[in-house]
Amino acid sequence: MSSALHPAAQLARLPGWVALLLWTAVVVLPLYVLVVSCFKTTAEIYINPMGLPASWSPTNFITAWHRANLGQNLVNSLIVTVGAVVVTLLVSAMAAYPLSRFRLRWGTAMLGLFLVGIMLPIRLASVELFTLMADLNLLDSLFGLVCVYVAIRIPFAIFIFANFMRVLPRELEEAARLDGANDLQILFGIILPVVMPAISIVAIFTAIAVWNDFFFPLIFIFDNNLKTVPLAITSFVGQFRTDWGMVFAALAISLAPVLAMYLVLARQIREGAGAGGVIT
Amino acid sequence: MSKQRIAYERVAIGRHLTALLFVLPALLVYGLFVLYPLAVSLWGSVFEWRGLRQLGFSGLSNFIRLFAFPNGERLGGALWHNAAWFAGIMLFQNGLGLLFAYALFWSRKGAAFFQSVFFFPAVLSPVIVGALWRLLLAPNGAVEWMLNGLGLHEGRLTVLGDSSWALWILIAIDAWNWMGLPVLVFTAGLRQISYEVFEAARIDGAGQTRMLFTIAMPLLVPALSSVTTLSFINTFNQFDIVYVMQGVQGNPSFSTDTLVTYFYRLAFGAEGSVGITDIGLALALGTLLFLVLTVGTMLMLRGFERASVQP
Repeated sequence: MSSALHPAAQLARLPGWVALLLWTAVVVLPLYVLVVSCFKTTAEIYINPMGLPASWSPTNFITAWHRANLGQNLVNSLIVTVGAVVVTLLVSAMAAYPLSRFRLRWGTAMLGLFLVGIMLPIRLASVELFTLMADLNLLDSLFGLVCVYVAIRIPFAIFIFANFMRVLPRELEEAARLDGANDLQILFGIILPVVMPAISIVAIFTAIAVWNDFFFPLIFIFDNNLKTVPLAITSFVGQFRTDWGMVFAALAISLAPVLAMYLVLARQIREGAGAGGVIT
Repeated sequence: MSKQRIAYERVAIGRHLTALLFVLPALLVYGLFVLYPLAVSLWGSVFEWRGLRQLGFSGLSNFIRLFAFPNGERLGGALWHNAAWFAGIMLFQNGLGLLFAYALFWSRKGAAFFQSVFFFPAVLSPVIVGALWRLLLAPNGAVEWMLNGLGLHEGRLTVLGDSSWALWILIAIDAWNWMGLPVLVFTAGLRQISYEVFEAARIDGAGQTRMLFTIAMPLLVPALSSVTTLSFINTFNQFDIVYVMQGVQGNPSFSTDTLVTYFYRLAFGAEGSVGITDIGLALALGTLLFLVLTVGTMLMLRGFERASVQP
C-alpha cells in the first residue's frame, strides 16, 4: 500500500537511486575501457580512450598470449587452485566433524586454536616460512604453494564447517551408528551431503583467495614456467608498459575465467559474503 | 535415546582417538605452515642475524634499531600510511557502503543486480585491479581524458607520481576493489531488522537520516563489527596494490610505503640501493605488526560486543 500512497516517500528515495547508479558507473566504466582498449593500438587509445575501436581485431590478444606465456600461467593457477580447494575441503571437513559433534573436553580449545588463524598475519612469518620451504624442497613448486594455501585457508574452512555441522540434529547419525556405520561413513555419507551450502561457501571463497593471491608466488616461485597468473601479469605489465593495447588484452585474458565463474555463481557469492563478511 | 549416547561416549576412550585422527591432517598442515613459522618468527626477533643465519641472543636491540634513525623514519611513515589507509577505507568504503546498503534496503527491486555489480571487483585479484587502474590513471590515459573533457583538469594527469596524492588514490582504488563487501554485509544485516520497526518510525514522522542513525546503526553493530575488523586486518596487510602500482619502494619517495612493503624489502632484499636483507629488523617489524593486529583486533571485537544491543 505504502509506495502508491506516499509520493513524498518515493521522492526521498531518489538520492539513493542516483548514488547507486553513480557507483555502478564507477564500477562499469573502467571495465568498459578495459574491454574496448583490448582491440585498439596504443595510438588509438591515446587519441580516444572511451570510444569504440576502429576494428575488432584480435591482434592484441594473440600477441599478449604468445609473449606472456599466459596459457601455462592459467594452467598453473588452475592446478594450484583446484589442489588447494580439494585438500582444504577434505581436511577441514574431517577436523570440523569431531570438533563440532563429539562431546570432547579438548574440542573447544582445539577449535579455538584453529580459529585464531583467521586473524594471524601469516605474511609476517614469510621469512621463516621461506626457510622451511627451502628445507622441505618446496620452493619453486606448485605443490609447495598448495601446502601453504591449504594451511592458510584451514581456519576459515573449519569455522564455516563447524558452524553448519553444530546445528544438525543428533538423530541424523544415531541411526547410522546403530546400524554399524563407522565415523568415516557417517561423515561422508550422512553429514557432508546435508552441509552442501558450507561446502560451496568454502570452495568458492578458497578458490577466489588462492586464484588471486600474489604474495606467496612472488616469494616462492622463480621459474617462469611455474608462475601463476597474478605473478605473471605483474612482470608482464612492468615489461611491456608502453604497449597499452597488449597489456589491456593480457589483463582481459586473466580476468575472463573469474568473470565466467562470477556469472555462474553470483548468487552464492553474494549470499556467502553477506552471511559473514567472510573473505580475508 | 540421549541417555544411551552419553553412556556410549563415556565408555569409548577410542572416541578420543577417532577424533584425534580426524583432526590430525588439518592440525599437521596448519601447525607446520602457519603456527610453526609464526612462532619461530616471533622468537627470532630477539636474536642477531647475519643473512639467513641466526646468531646470538640480542634482547631488544632489533626493536631499538627499528625505532632509531634511519629506520624509525620508514617505520613511522609506513605506520602512518596504514593508519590513514584504515581511516580512508572506513570513511569512503564502509561509510559509503552503509549508505548504498541503506538505499538498497529501501528499494528492493534491483537489489541483487546492484549487489552483483558492486561486488564484482572484489573477486578480481588486487594485482589485476592495480594494473588496470595504473593504465587508466597514467598520463594520456582514460581518466585524464575524461577529466579534461569535463573541464575538471587541464594537461597531463600525474597523480600517481605526486607524493601528496598517490596514497589517497591507492586508498580509493582499494575501496573500489572491496566496496561490494560492506554493501553485502550491511544489506544482510538490515534485512534481519524487522520491517515494521521502520514502518512505525516513519509513521511517527522520522526521516531517512534519523532512521539510519537511531534504528539501523544500533542494530547493525554485529555487521559493523565484522566489516571493521576485516578492514583493519586487510588494511594492515596491504601489499599487492602498492607493489603493482607504485613499486615495492612505495613510490614516489616512500609516500605510499606500507608496513608489509617495508617488511618485504627488509626480508627479501630490496631496501636501500644495494638491496641487503636485514632479517633481524624484518622479524622485529613482523613482531610489532603482529602485536598491533592481534591487540587491535581483540580490542575492536570487545568494544563492539559491549556496544551491541539486543534486537
